[in-house]
Amino acid sequence: MFRDITIEEFLTRSANDDIDYSDFADYVNRETEKLNKKYGFLREVVKLEMKKNPEKITKKMFGLPVSIKDCICTKGIGSFAGSKILEGYKPVFDAHVVENLKKENGAILGKTNQDCFGFGTFSVYSDYEIPKNPIDSERSCGGSSGGCGGITKAATFPHISIGESTGGSISSPAAFCGVYGLTPTYGLVSRYGLIDYANSLDKIGVLGKNIFDIAFSLNIIAGHDSRDSTSLKTEKKDYTKVLDKPIKGIKIGIPKEYMQVDEKIQKTVWNAVKKLESLGATYQEISLENTKYALSAYYIIATAEASTNLAKYCGLRYGVQNEIAKAESFNDHYKKIRTKNFNAEAKRRIILGTFTRMSGYRDQYYLKAMKVRTLVINDFKRVFKNVDIIASPAMPITAPKFSDIEKLTPMEHYQMDVLTVPPNLAGVPMISVPCGFVDGLPVGLHLIADHLQEEKIIQAASWV
Amino acid sequence: MVKIGLEVHVAISNVKTKMFCGCVNNVVAEPNTNVCPTCMGMPGSKPRINKAVIDSAIKISIALNCKVRNKMFFSRKSYFYNDMAKNFQISQYEVPLAENGIVEIDSKKIRIRRVHMEEDPGKIIHIGGGIINADYTLIDYNRSGVPLCEIVTQPDFETPKQAREFLDKISSVLEYLEVYNALREGALRVDANISTSGERVEIKNISGFRDVEKALQYEITRQENMTRRGQQIIQETRTWDSGSNTTKLLRKKEHEEDYGYITENDLPMITIKQSRLDEIKKQIPEMAPEKVKRYQKQYRISKETAISIAHDPFLAEMFEQVVKKTDPEITGKIFAGVLLKTLNYNNIRIQQTNIRAEDILDILEKLEKKQITERVAELALRKIAEGKNTEKFLRDMDTISDKKQLKDIIKIVLKKNIKAVNDVKSGKPEAMNFLLGQVMKETKNRADQKTVREIIEKYIEK
Repeated sequence: MFRDITIEEFLTRSANDDIDYSDFADYVNRETEKLNKKYGFLREVVKLEMKKNPEKITKKMFGLPVSIKDCICTKGIGSFAGSKILEGYKPVFDAHVVENLKKENGAILGKTNQDCFGFGTFSVYSDYEIPKNPIDSERSCGGSSGGCGGITKAATFPHISIGESTGGSISSPAAFCGVYGLTPTYGLVSRYGLIDYANSLDKIGVLGKNIFDIAFSLNIIAGHDSRDSTSLKTEKKDYTKVLDKPIKGIKIGIPKEYMQVDEKIQKTVWNAVKKLESLGATYQEISLENTKYALSAYYIIATAEASTNLAKYCGLRYGVQNEIAKAESFNDHYKKIRTKNFNAEAKRRIILGTFTRMSGYRDQYYLKAMKVRTLVINDFKRVFKNVDIIASPAMPITAPKFSDIEKLTPMEHYQMDVLTVPPNLAGVPMISVPCGFVDGLPVGLHLIADHLQEEKIIQAASWV
Repeated sequence: MVKIGLEVHVAISNVKTKMFCGCVNNVVAEPNTNVCPTCMGMPGSKPRINKAVIDSAIKISIALNCKVRNKMFFSRKSYFYNDMAKNFQISQYEVPLAENGIVEIDSKKIRIRRVHMEEDPGKIIHIGGGIINADYTLIDYNRSGVPLCEIVTQPDFETPKQAREFLDKISSVLEYLEVYNALREGALRVDANISTSGERVEIKNISGFRDVEKALQYEITRQENMTRRGQQIIQETRTWDSGSNTTKLLRKKEHEEDYGYITENDLPMITIKQSRLDEIKKQIPEMAPEKVKRYQKQYRISKETAISIAHDPFLAEMFEQVVKKTDPEITGKIFAGVLLKTLNYNNIRIQQTNIRAEDILDILEKLEKKQITERVAELALRKIAEGKNTEKFLRDMDTISDKKQLKDIIKIVLKKNIKAVNDVKSGKPEAMNFLLGQVMKETKNRADQKTVREIIEKYIEK
């Protein structure tokens, strides 16, 4: 009845009163439980409760199930950002995106597992369950929005997932799980209610099974919000309008710095580009010269900001507080709470980020990284004078095995973000589009456009 | 050579809401009730700037003759403390609101280094001791996010007295600008830097101008004693303990905080247009120095009297209302004299009393018409200042100038005080004052002094 129906089918049937919502909820709950037991996508499952023929289940979403990354605040539902230190935190307010989804009758299905605070590329730094890739459960879903990618791939019911990207946390799971993942322009979707990783980089976005799901969801979550001062004042757009619009004449840039990856992945990506060419697009090689500095700049800026954002977690106002009776002073209490409840990766990033902004190092690291960031932005601005979109692989590898991830040094781990970090630093929109397989594992084509040009990448993605 | 610099934190009082959220800008409420996710630093919350705070801070900057930047941003100042909701404070670092101002005090010109905006942390209440030895500590976040303006001077003060003078001046300026409520708890808090013969020592969180002077004086003595004993003065942070009137060590140089400033990326760059500055400039009222000049010219009162009145905008406002209908000289004398003295004695400001211009006018009119004596007028003003009703008091207080009536009273007084009478005769003027006083006492201050003196002199000559 509901198995594998698309969102478009679900919406059409809903509009025609052809859905028994009580059956639908039962089905979704059953499937979610089953999948979650097997793969651990959700840290917390929220059971859908729907009446057979609800009176008011109209609006745009008709009760469409939505999973939400754990770092996005949901009123009354635990929002731990994947970290033990926030265990028990139930926000008293909804994030702007959650408000928007609820307004259109989106149904919250649960909170997805993630690397704590978004610190990772494989979701292995989750303090809760590590989500397993539904294509091969010995492999990672990617990260940090790993649970979002996994459940989007595995769900046998219509569903979207709201993720968040700081340096590539939507593109990575989308590529590794073989789903679509859109990271919008910085500021297009309000960050109000997002548990911060790095405020100048964080973007809320969406993962879906196909490009319609992405365009449809972006319509709902995008828009100005006065509670986030970095939220852009843009006119409302209907992103579904560009779907299947011919791409004849669209100019694609292929950055040479981004193609130095595994040959099989390269080939898969080239095939996708050739397909777009056959439909009338043209491509040219381009250069984003400062790419080689982007990763270092990113890890300095992101960790500097993160180390200030994480300072507030000290077991005083929310989250874990278990040590308070044993503490000698408030400093001692903070120390105990933070030592016990931050995992090694969180500590690594706090130390890194605190170091780069200390007096004596600040000029060499933090301030210099800010300057590099400007150079990276200028690279994109320059290139987008000549091309409409940039195409590249989203990730340098396909979904790795957990056993291989264990062997990575932190540095090698960070290097996995080499392709996603530059556009994230620049705040330009990007989408990972499934474009084929290498050894049975999905490959993501990364399409990048200039600020607020989401329509261009959505349009192109609809032809891949 | 003593060098003192001040950092003055002013709670901006004329804005309705806190600096980055919609909570009321008022700390008087049940603890932890005037809070929201933003000022509690809850995960997921975001700050948004209250533009009125910027306007008030610009007003202050202009009044202190500073150059206001046209572009600026906020920064995160990171340190762990339990009154800090986020363990960082949103402040300004590289690019402050304004710089390079000048404030003139009696003795010299003080350079203002910078003026910037920042949020107030919550309030800590130590139970069973002070900051060092309390049993436990309560935290009230009602104050968290209250807008502060920080004024940082160059180390231009050479004496604690100059620092005190500067604070008096600044508080007058702030009151004239109507951005500051002196009556609010913690409305003005000071950190002081002082160096004598060694490194710079910082004294944190002194509230009260008198305490600033005391703390600095204590510190000078402490450092001089150290030098005399051959000890080196090294950089450290101390706290003022108003209980024991001493400064106490908070932390040594090696434990100084490294605030690790980064930009506050939740708040975009702020641009201030010239038109906004011009608009704010227009709102700056006539301030004390201009008033002093005008009072001297317009009312022909002495400079000292004018300074005393104009220093306090509330007093000045009342003065200007009253003086329209009375004799300026008497009015000035009354305002700068008995009224100010009574207020100071009771440690109260005129805006805290029930004094109305009409009440003062009423008394001054009676005085001018010689219906009451100067002494009675003084007493009546004191009563008003103390919040008491004067109607009843003044009812039977008309001046006694009837000579016959006075003679009767004086006769009795002289009879009772033969010794004083003889003293006057043998040329002791104090004795005359004593006799006058006795008559005033007998008449409840209602006797016309001049007449009394004449009568006594006549009697004694006989």
